[in-house]
Amino acid sequence: MTKMERVVESLFHREPDRVPVYPILAGVTRNLVGASYEKWATDAETCANALYKAAKDFDLDCIVTLIDLSIECDAWGQEIVYPADQAAHPNYDNCVIKNTDDYAKIKKVDYRTSKRMMMHIDVCKRLVEMANGELPVVTFVFGPLGVLSMLRNQADMYMDIYDVPGEVKNAAREINETLKEYTNALIDTGVNAVMLDTLFASASIMSPSMWMEFEGGLVRELADICHDRGTLVMIHNCGEKIYFKEQIETMRPCAISFLHVPADCKDFAECKEKYGDKITLIGCVTPALAEIGTDEEWDEQCKFFIDTFKKGGGFMLATGCEYPSGTDLTRAKRMVELAKTYGKYEK
Amino acid sequence: MSKCNDISLAVQKGKKNDAVTFVQEALSEGIKAEQILTEGLLPAMDIVGQKFTANEIYVPEMLIAARAMNAAMEILKPMLVDAGVKPIGRAVIGTVKGDLHDIGKNLVRLMLEGKGIEVFDLGVDVSAEQFADAAAEHDATIVACSALLTTTMTEMKRVVEVFVERGLRDKVKIMVGGAPITEAFCKEIGADYYTADAASAGDVARNILVSA
Repeated sequence: MTKMERVVESLFHREPDRVPVYPILAGVTRNLVGASYEKWATDAETCANALYKAAKDFDLDCIVTLIDLSIECDAWGQEIVYPADQAAHPNYDNCVIKNTDDYAKIKKVDYRTSKRMMMHIDVCKRLVEMANGELPVVTFVFGPLGVLSMLRNQADMYMDIYDVPGEVKNAAREINETLKEYTNALIDTGVNAVMLDTLFASASIMSPSMWMEFEGGLVRELADICHDRGTLVMIHNCGEKIYFKEQIETMRPCAISFLHVPADCKDFAECKEKYGDKITLIGCVTPALAEIGTDEEWDEQCKFFIDTFKKGGGFMLATGCEYPSGTDLTRAKRMVELAKTYGKYEK
Repeated sequence: MSKCNDISLAVQKGKKNDAVTFVQEALSEGIKAEQILTEGLLPAMDIVGQKFTANEIYVPEMLIAARAMNAAMEILKPMLVDAGVKPIGRAVIGTVKGDLHDIGKNLVRLMLEGKGIEVFDLGVDVSAEQFADAAAEHDATIVACSALLTTTMTEMKRVVEVFVERGLRDKVKIMVGGAPITEAFCKEIGADYYTADAASAGDVARNILVSA
């Protein structure tokens, strides 16, 4: 079975030869090509080569183009910091939105003016070409409220939601107009799916009604673009107690990549029972375990999720969030081996 | 006391201006600062913490409650100092080196202050040495470290090591928290307490100080 067939079978809730596997290798792949974090995060050729090499070397079943969460905010001129050993992030001492009046400055922009967005599009183009239809390529888009938080900083944005809700909504709407064109451009590269990061749809941050009011309608529009163009929609949200029900209703995804038990489930078994026939579950191994604890503890968790989610397909073994970028890849390799052995389906 | 109740409700709802107005009115009615603190502000933060833990309110509501509480405390602080009101203990908190996330840490500060603890907030990107320096300088009983990244959480181990190296380990209780942190990680690095959220951090900190 090819990787593409394996993933497609799983997405259609049929049992492939074994569970597909993807230990969200992102920033850590820079080490495979000897690049600095900054070079990896800013140079399309380097980034694409690193992600592809990881997929090849570790026999991964797909590639997700998660680079960092400050790709999109670059379009509005946000200053980005590129630390030597961590993911790029906004300079929070110099946010584009410095006070509530600044929300009015946020207008739809031409994504083609953003170096980082264009770099990401280029990464997708290169990967689609390299994958040659044999390996699914999933592109990654941060939701509009997430982008807005990168331009303001989260804490202030949360309070602004109470102080100036209209301004926050308008700015998020303008950002979304840009994201719609950007998403279309990403789809143009031939990627197989778009993974939307909906960080805020989580009980560890805001209520479901607040999320629906401030972001739900906007990400629905992004998802509709994908559906209209025949591109699969996936969601990534590594928050605690995320809102499966609201996100499924809003975006009609084929898969959710997650880390913690969803808000309306008591445990992962209930999650499988409730949602296992509706969406493909991607996860949920704790990334920190790649860095601490023992190999046995890591294996135990991989096996736990295989046991809990494998039945009937609709499952991809993965870390619930990015594999630690400063850690060696030994445990990623173990995860892949476990998918190949322990994760086999009996025919 | 209905005025204290008004203050409590204003803080719970994050109505900063109302909280300030009610505190000023209470003071002008002759209510002592300590009474406003113990019957208005601290119970308000207890309720906010309980509701947060129960998912009845979320981070935005916590933040606006914190803002209201801080505004009220700004008025009361000099009076509390003059009246000789002492905190129940001291804590040093911060987000570990390499990590710039501060919302969780700020919520912990708020909940600790809401328990009557004097908090020395070192901010973000705090080295293990800075934690130890501050704990020694302020004679703190609690050191609370936050990390949101898998890449920075291991810095907490370094914090524990520095306290051991400097002979300070027995003088403090080290608390750890943040999205990737677990009870198992807490034990593995030799820290004392892991708490899953800000409200339980406040409860644990208070228990440490009360039982000390």
